[in-house]
Amino acid sequence: MSKKYILGVFDDEATLVDAFEKLKDKGVMPVEVYTPYPVHEILEGMPIKTRITHAAFFYGLFAALGILGFLTYAAVIDWPLRYGGKPFNAFPSFIVVTIVATILSITLLTLFTFSARAKVFPGKKAEIFHERATDDKFVMVFDEDGIANDSESLKAILTEHGKIE
Amino acid sequence: MYNSAVRGKLIDGEKSFSQISKEILAPIHAKTPLWWYAAMMVSLGMFGFGLYCKYITVSTGIGTWGVNNSVAWGWAIINFVWWIGIGHAGTAFSIFLLILRQKWRTAINRAAEAMTVVAVFCASLFPLLHMGRPWLFFFIFPYPNTRGPLWVNFNSPLFWDFVAISAYLLISASFWYFGMVPDFATIRDTAKSKIKKAVYGFFAFGWTGSSREWLRFEGLSFVLGGIAAVLVVSVHSIVSTDFAVSVQAGWHTTIFPPYFVIGAIFSGFAMVLTLVITMRGLYNMNDFITDRHVDAVCRILIFISLIMGTAYMTEIFIAWYSASEYETYMFFKNRLFGDYAFQFWAMFTANAVIPQLFWFKAVRKRMWIVFIISIIINIGMWFERFNIVVTTLSRDYLPAAWANYSPTYVEIGFFVGTLGMFLAGVLLFFRYIPMIAISELKSVAKFDKPNNGQLKAKSHE
Repeated sequence: MSKKYILGVFDDEATLVDAFEKLKDKGVMPVEVYTPYPVHEILEGMPIKTRITHAAFFYGLFAALGILGFLTYAAVIDWPLRYGGKPFNAFPSFIVVTIVATILSITLLTLFTFSARAKVFPGKKAEIFHERATDDKFVMVFDEDGIANDSESLKAILTEHGKIE
Repeated sequence: MYNSAVRGKLIDGEKSFSQISKEILAPIHAKTPLWWYAAMMVSLGMFGFGLYCKYITVSTGIGTWGVNNSVAWGWAIINFVWWIGIGHAGTAFSIFLLILRQKWRTAINRAAEAMTVVAVFCASLFPLLHMGRPWLFFFIFPYPNTRGPLWVNFNSPLFWDFVAISAYLLISASFWYFGMVPDFATIRDTAKSKIKKAVYGFFAFGWTGSSREWLRFEGLSFVLGGIAAVLVVSVHSIVSTDFAVSVQAGWHTTIFPPYFVIGAIFSGFAMVLTLVITMRGLYNMNDFITDRHVDAVCRILIFISLIMGTAYMTEIFIAWYSASEYETYMFFKNRLFGDYAFQFWAMFTANAVIPQLFWFKAVRKRMWIVFIISIIINIGMWFERFNIVVTTLSRDYLPAAWANYSPTYVEIGFFVGTLGMFLAGVLLFFRYIPMIAISELKSVAKFDKPNNGQLKAKSHE
């Protein structure tokens, strides 16, 4: 590995969040935080954001329009057939398929977006900093070059409740 | 840390995070017990018999079934609706309790979703084979073809049903799978054997638990949760329109969609109870799926059972109030006292009366009684579908077309085969997949003294 990292390892959520906030006040941000479950204070505190919900909305919008358009094209324009005396453009009964197929499109497209953006996909090799971060340890990763000036205070805060590895 | 004023602790026994992972993963890391092989043999035997019956159905034809011109829908549709109903609980459990922020769902939702996926798969076999020529099933896809192109009938509930079921299968399977990715990573990082590390490592998709992953994961579950809630309600409503859109006495009613959705969730929750009580018994999960969890599900069942009773009474009342000769005949002569009166009263007793025993705490805390009642509810829900399908079809508007129906061994074998498939699926789930969502459970783990009292824990939500 070309870069050097400092790992702050904590035993529970409360101490992790406490250290994270103290460091944030000092202007030191971890490169990444690994936790066994989502910790909301960290997710809100890290300088990252996600637009996955917005993406899902637009997938839904376009899927709904596309599906409704297809149904109308197939049943009204391409090959109109009378079913049970209903008009060709039986709009209310198109809604059912539109809703369900839209939900399916949103789900699949959002899953692919998640997979691409969070880089979680089949065949990926995990970059593991700490073996137990998926089990019971809460790990903050710092880039040693980026925090050269504050490394003393950083270490002090990390060792208050956690330990450095 | 999660604090709940109403429910108290969600996990018993002061467990640390690593203890939680260890105890839930114990069945995966341990040797396969002997009873597992025995149970697997039995379910594969049932599955094999089902395969034989499917072979007869396909090679000879639907004529090997007991269905006839009047009662054209027999066990196949009954079992289809029954399995789909059971399949609803998984998503209902995760989604509705997620929306209602009921954190106790975390111990149960994985099992419920596993059950959903297997049950919906079982269900989808019935319409497929009822088509008679299942090798032409792709005709139902609206694809450009050389027959015109002739499109499918978008006004038909049977087409809606096809779209709904395939969407539901895909969505519930992917929802379930993505919930498991963090847990597969936990298995990868705790496993000792190289093979296990590689296999679960592959299925974990390179998950590490970084905040970038978690943030998007939360966004994803928010989106999927929100839209799948719509799906749960719409899928079984669509199944009900298979019946309600036809002009048949006993089917042609507006109560059908909510009645079917509630019935589906009812049978599904009962099946969840059956499953989690089995899990508690076999794998000693009592600290995670506590008596309080079972108690909460029982209370929900009382409520749904009351709705079921109300729905039955409403149907009967409206049959009289509508002053329709056919409706009145269907309910008062045929269903209540006709050839299939036994099925009607079995349904009524099992779904509307027996679950009322859950009002008593003494019943709710005796697991074997809860287990038996959960089975009774599932049998009752099966009779409900029998009652809807067969009584209406057997007594048409034209007495000359009246016919009775009883299944042949081929239909029974088909059903037994899907039961075997379900059991085999559940057994595989017990053995190879974490039965409880570990990462979700950790987020609700509540310790009396966080960090030995050094820091005051903040609670969110």
